[in-house]
Amino acid sequence: MNFDVSLVVESIPRMLEGIGLTLQLLILSSAIGLVLAIITLLMRISGKWFLVAPAAIYIYFFRGTPILVQIFIIYYGLPQLEFIREGALWPVLREPFWCCVIALSLNGGAYVSEILRGGVLGVEKGVLEAASALGISRSQRFVYITSPIAIRLSIPAYSNDMISMVKSTALASTVTLLDMTGVARTIVAQTFAPYEIFIAAASIYLVMAWMIQKGFGLLERRMSRYVKAT
Amino acid sequence: MSDLVGWADEYFWGAMVVLRVFAVSLVLSVIIGLVGAAMKLSRSRVANAIAGAYTVVFRGTPELLVLLIVYFGAAVTLTAIAQSVDPSIKFIDIPPFWAGAFAIALIVGAYMTETFRGAFLGVDPGHVEAARALGLSNLQTFIYVRIPQMWRLALPNFGNHMLSLMKDTALISVIGLEEIVFVAEMATSVTTKPFTMFMVVALIYLCITTVITLAVMALEKYANRHLEGSR
Amino acid sequence: MSEAKSEPIIVLEDVCKRFGDFQALTEVNLTVSRGERIVVCGPSGSGKSTMIRCINRLEEHDSGRIIVAGKELTGEVKDIDAVRREVGMVFQSFNLFPHLKVIDNLTLALRLVRKMPKTEARKVAVKYLERVYIPDQADKYPSQLSGGQQQRVAIARALCMNPEVMLFDEPTSALDPEMISEVLDVMRELAEEGMTMICVTHEMGFARSVADLMVFMDRGEIVETAPPGEFFENPRSDRTRLFLGQILSH
Repeated sequence: MNFDVSLVVESIPRMLEGIGLTLQLLILSSAIGLVLAIITLLMRISGKWFLVAPAAIYIYFFRGTPILVQIFIIYYGLPQLEFIREGALWPVLREPFWCCVIALSLNGGAYVSEILRGGVLGVEKGVLEAASALGISRSQRFVYITSPIAIRLSIPAYSNDMISMVKSTALASTVTLLDMTGVARTIVAQTFAPYEIFIAAASIYLVMAWMIQKGFGLLERRMSRYVKAT
Repeated sequence: MSDLVGWADEYFWGAMVVLRVFAVSLVLSVIIGLVGAAMKLSRSRVANAIAGAYTVVFRGTPELLVLLIVYFGAAVTLTAIAQSVDPSIKFIDIPPFWAGAFAIALIVGAYMTETFRGAFLGVDPGHVEAARALGLSNLQTFIYVRIPQMWRLALPNFGNHMLSLMKDTALISVIGLEEIVFVAEMATSVTTKPFTMFMVVALIYLCITTVITLAVMALEKYANRHLEGSR
Repeated sequence: MSEAKSEPIIVLEDVCKRFGDFQALTEVNLTVSRGERIVVCGPSGSGKSTMIRCINRLEEHDSGRIIVAGKELTGEVKDIDAVRREVGMVFQSFNLFPHLKVIDNLTLALRLVRKMPKTEARKVAVKYLERVYIPDQADKYPSQLSGGQQQRVAIARALCMNPEVMLFDEPTSALDPEMISEVLDVMRELAEEGMTMICVTHEMGFARSVADLMVFMDRGEIVETAPPGEFFENPRSDRTRLFLGQILSH
């Protein structure tokens, strides 16, 4: 049984055709997910039950169910509902691409919101007390003290989450999209060479993961200039 | 709603399949995780390198891809081996259950490796020294001091890995395992109510993950019971 | 003795506070006049920190009245913010904003609370940094400073807001011994300039030289108040005697 390296080399360019879609999914879902996460976080820490409850339910549902199922519910499931089919958003919601973006954003938003909450909880209580003692108001404390520190604390976990997001984009291939995994599956169906093709695809994903990790590592180092080296 | 009643049986058996896959995969991933952690903590540079490569590759590769490589790759390999023995054999593959359980165990095992490694390193060396000073043997120290402490430290992350594992099992439906996602797909083609059917799948998963979360919380409380009440 | 010491600036009347089952403060009564320097001492858990933290509402008292600079402390946010502008606090663990440079630590409240423009705030900040003898550390981050320097920055930060009263919660307890005096010297100068202050501390030498009034607390109550001379030479209560014996002996 041969491992056909030339096949690997040949198929990488073809798979890179899929990278455009992978990156679009990644960037859009991360951006929308981040916005959702911030809104959800603010709702979670607001202390008002009518804001906390929906946020908590949203997080609970999206962290407790598989992404694949979430994608299927949005892509296959929503068309069952009349008000969706006849609504203004229908042209968007029938596209597998947008269904994936929505699913990945909602999923990402739930996870990132918990990550940010962890960052917020990591801010030393004493520092916030000092700010209150100076007369700095609650919202000012959140913007000028809590947020910068919480963001720095969240970076490692956020970096991991972004890598998860890259991996999740592969699920788009289950709803007919030709992202990198989708292209890979097509090629394998033609060539019956699963090892070569899928390993080639995996290596591209690994390179992306590595780049993300390095990127966030640099960002974290920059933001940690003021932290004492122990 | 009435559509659901007819399918309750199928969903139930599908859920049983999910739980079986979960159990098998969990056991495999813990074994892989312990072996991996041992390799990473060992003094052998070769072991370190292999385990290091393993964790990087399996934490950075999409789960779906790993699943596809294991399933289709195993089929290709097994078929090739079988054909070299008996040329008349056309095709051999492993059942999706085992391919899936193994693939997911490989993935989650990589995360378990990191968790166990961190937890072992987190055991206070002072405690180990105290045990030795009291005369406990290496093995006794390992069993009575290292493992309980490591377990307590590993628990929160271990709980998260269990949840990931549970949710990853849904992917196995892609290679044909007849579990609840598969049931929903079948039910949809008959009833044309995909939203209902897939929502049920989501809710079943939600129940299982909730039970796991509660169990882990209870275990954490138990493992940390000696710490409660300190100011 | 000066004429300025007439009007009460802080009044605590029958203040009680509990944390769950634990009675932290029981019927605490205290009046602080403008320009008065008060040192509060006592064993741990006696309620000293709780009491001063109630004064700027970092803790909420359960019953009784607290009046600061003429305003009574209630749940009203307006009142709390107004009180906090007049009361400066220095914490045991400094609590400097780690992500901001020293100069920004000082100007943040000036810009946000007093709405001062940046350049003016900077000038004020530099003035107070000079007052605590570390003007050259302005562009450093707190983590780059020693403990004594950090605490002096904390004092400067509180002073920037021009408070009527300064509260010190064990300001030197977290410092290495060689850095204690640099902080106490700054506090002594403040006292000599007439700043009204309440200081919770174990530094009895400092207390003897600076305090107008010593307050001894034990188990949530004020046991004894007296000027330092009387307090140290002739304590009235047995509990006071016991405490003084413990801390002054070793």
